[in-house]
Amino acid sequence: MWNELLYAFQEVATLPNFLAMFAGIWGGVIIGAIPGMTGTMAVTLALPFTFYLSPVTSILLLVALYKGSTYGGSISAILIKTPGTASAACTVLDGYPLARAGKGGKALNMALISSCIGDFISNISLFFLAIPLATFALRVGPPEFFMLMAFSLTIVASISGRSLVLGIISACLGLLLATVGEDMYGSFRFALSEDMKSGLGMVPVLIGLFALPELIKMIVFRPEDNAAAMKLGDNRLTLAEFRGSIKSICRGSIIGVILGAIPGIGPSTAAFFSYSEARRTSKNGDKFGEGELEGIAASESANNGACGATMIPLLALGVPGDVITGVMLGAFMIHGLTPGPLLFQNNLGDVYALFIGILFSSVFLFVAGKATAGAFTKISRIPQTLLLPCILILCVYGIYSIGASPFDVTVLLVMGVVGFAMMLLNIPAAPFLIAFILGPMFEDNMRRSLAISRGDLGVFFQSWISWGFFALTVLFVILTIRREWKKWRDNRDATSASA
Amino acid sequence: MNQNRDFYAGLVATVFFAVILFVLIPIYVKVPSFIPGFAPPPDMWPRVVSIVGLVMGVLALVLAFPKMREAGRNQVEGFGNRILGNKTHLMRFAGILIVFVAFVYGMPLIGFVPATVLLLGVLFVMTGNFERKFWMIGLAVIFPVLLYLLFTEVTHTPFPKGKLLSANISHLTTLI
Repeated sequence: MWNELLYAFQEVATLPNFLAMFAGIWGGVIIGAIPGMTGTMAVTLALPFTFYLSPVTSILLLVALYKGSTYGGSISAILIKTPGTASAACTVLDGYPLARAGKGGKALNMALISSCIGDFISNISLFFLAIPLATFALRVGPPEFFMLMAFSLTIVASISGRSLVLGIISACLGLLLATVGEDMYGSFRFALSEDMKSGLGMVPVLIGLFALPELIKMIVFRPEDNAAAMKLGDNRLTLAEFRGSIKSICRGSIIGVILGAIPGIGPSTAAFFSYSEARRTSKNGDKFGEGELEGIAASESANNGACGATMIPLLALGVPGDVITGVMLGAFMIHGLTPGPLLFQNNLGDVYALFIGILFSSVFLFVAGKATAGAFTKISRIPQTLLLPCILILCVYGIYSIGASPFDVTVLLVMGVVGFAMMLLNIPAAPFLIAFILGPMFEDNMRRSLAISRGDLGVFFQSWISWGFFALTVLFVILTIRREWKKWRDNRDATSASA
Repeated sequence: MNQNRDFYAGLVATVFFAVILFVLIPIYVKVPSFIPGFAPPPDMWPRVVSIVGLVMGVLALVLAFPKMREAGRNQVEGFGNRILGNKTHLMRFAGILIVFVAFVYGMPLIGFVPATVLLLGVLFVMTGNFERKFWMIGLAVIFPVLLYLLFTEVTHTPFPKGKLLSANISHLTTLI
C-alpha cells in the first residue's frame, strides 16, 4: 500500500496537475461568485478541455472547479446578499448583516476557513471512509429520505424570527411555489402558462427573493445613507472568534460528509441541516440571522464538506450523487475508467493519486480564497446607489445565461417584488428559502415511499435510520410548542400587568 | 406598527391560500385518471400546504387583534395608513413595477443589451442620487456591454437581438 501511495504522490506532484488545480480553484471561485453561474455550469464548461488532459489531471480540474465554485457562492452571498449558488443561500442570513455592519472581510475569512476545514475533513473521509459511507448511503431509501427532510424542515421553527406563525406562512409559500411544474408522474401543477410547465428555477427564485428587495427598498424609501458605501471595519478573524465557531465547523463538516455521501442530497441540504443544528445548540443561537459568525461557519463547513463526499458514491459504487458528479462520471468514462468497486481493483494507483490531489486542493482553495477576499471586499466600498442597480443587471445576465429563457428573468423580477412585499409585511424570507429547496425532495420521497408500500404508512418506520429522524423531529416539535407556549404566556402576563 | 403588519400579513396570507385552495387547485392541478401503485394524487400535497397556510393566516389575524387593540390605545400609527399616507412611496413602487414590466415586454423587441442599458439607466435615475452622474452614465452603458461580452464568450449564451433591430437589419440587407 505504501509503495502505491508513494507512487501516487509522485504522479500527483507534477506541474500540469498543480496548474489544473490552481486554475480550477480560481475559475471556480470567480464563477461561483457571479450570481446565476453555478458549479454545474463551471464543470460542464470545463469538460471539453479534459479530452486533452490525463485522467487524474482532468478529474482534479473538475473537482477543483466544484470546490472553488461552492466557496465562491459565499462571496456574493456575504457582500451583495446574492447567493451565487443555492448551497450558499444559508450564508446570506448571517453574512450580509455582517457586511452591512462593516465586517464583510471578517465574514469572508470565516467562510474561507470553514470551507477549507470542511473540505479537508471531507477529503480525509474520502480517503478512509469511502467504502463504509457508500454502504451506509445505500441503506438510505425514500422513507429514510422523507424522515430526514421532515427533520430538516423543522428548522423553519428556529429561523422564523419574531413570529412562528409568519415563519410557517413563509414556508408554506415556498412549499407551494416548489410544486409548480411537472410532478413525478407527469401531471402539471399550476401551469398557468407554457413556461410554467417546467417549474420555477431555483436560482431565479432565490436570487430574486434576496437580492432584489434591497434595491426596491432603496428606490421606494430612499434612506439617507444609500449614497454611502458600507463601512470597512476590522477584517481579521480573531482566535477567540474562531474558537467560538470551531464546534459548528466540525459538526458542519461531519454533517456535510454524511449527507454528501448520500446520493441526491448535495451541499444545499447539508448547509441548512448544519445551520439548523448550530442554531439549536449554540449559546448564541438567538443571534443567528442577525450577523453571527458561527452561522456562516456552520453552513460553509457543511456545503464544502459535502463536496468531497459526493465523490464517495461515485468512486465506490459508480453512482453519481448529483449533477456535478454525473458530469465527472462522464469525464472518467472519456478516459476509459469505470467508477465503482472495480476501479479500486484495476486502477488503485489512479484512485490514490486522485485522493492525494484532492487533499492538495484544500490548500489551493485557502490560497485562492485569501488572495481574492481582499479584492472582493472592495465591493463594499461601492455606494449602494451604484452597486444595487448593477447587481440587478448582473443577476439578469446570469439568470438568462442558465437556460437562455426570458421566463427565468421574469421569475427573478416577480420574486423581487414578492420579496419586497414579504419584507414590508415582516414575513421572514429564510423559511421560504428552506421550504423551496427541501420541499420537492420531501414530497417526492413521501409519494415514492407510499407508492412502494402500496399506501402503507408503516414504510416510514421500517429502519432505525427512519426511527432516529422521526424521534428527533417529534422532540424538536415538542420543544418548539413548549417555547411558543411560554412566550405567549409571558406576553399575556406582561400585557395584563401593564393594563 | 408591528401589530398592524401582522394583521395585514395574516389577511394577505388568508386570501392568498384561500384562492390557491378553492380556485387554482381545482383548475390547475389535474388528477390523472391512472396513478401507478398507491401513490397519493398530485393535488394532495398542494392541498395540505394550502390548508396549513390558510390556518396560519387566520391564526395570524386572530393573534393580531388583541395587539392591535392595545396599539390603538397607545395611538400607534397603522402600517396601512403609513403606506397610503405616503403617496410618494406608492408612486415609486408603481414606477418600479412599470419599469420591470416594460423590461420584460420590451426586451424581445429592442434586444437584450439595449434593454439592460435602459433598465440600468432608469434604475440609476430612480435611486434619486445624482452625485456621481458620470459614473452612472458610464456604468449604464459599459457594464451591460461588458457582461454581454463575458457571457457570450464564456457560456455562449444566445441573447435576444431584438425583433425590431433584426427586422431593420434584414430590411437594410435586402435594400443593399
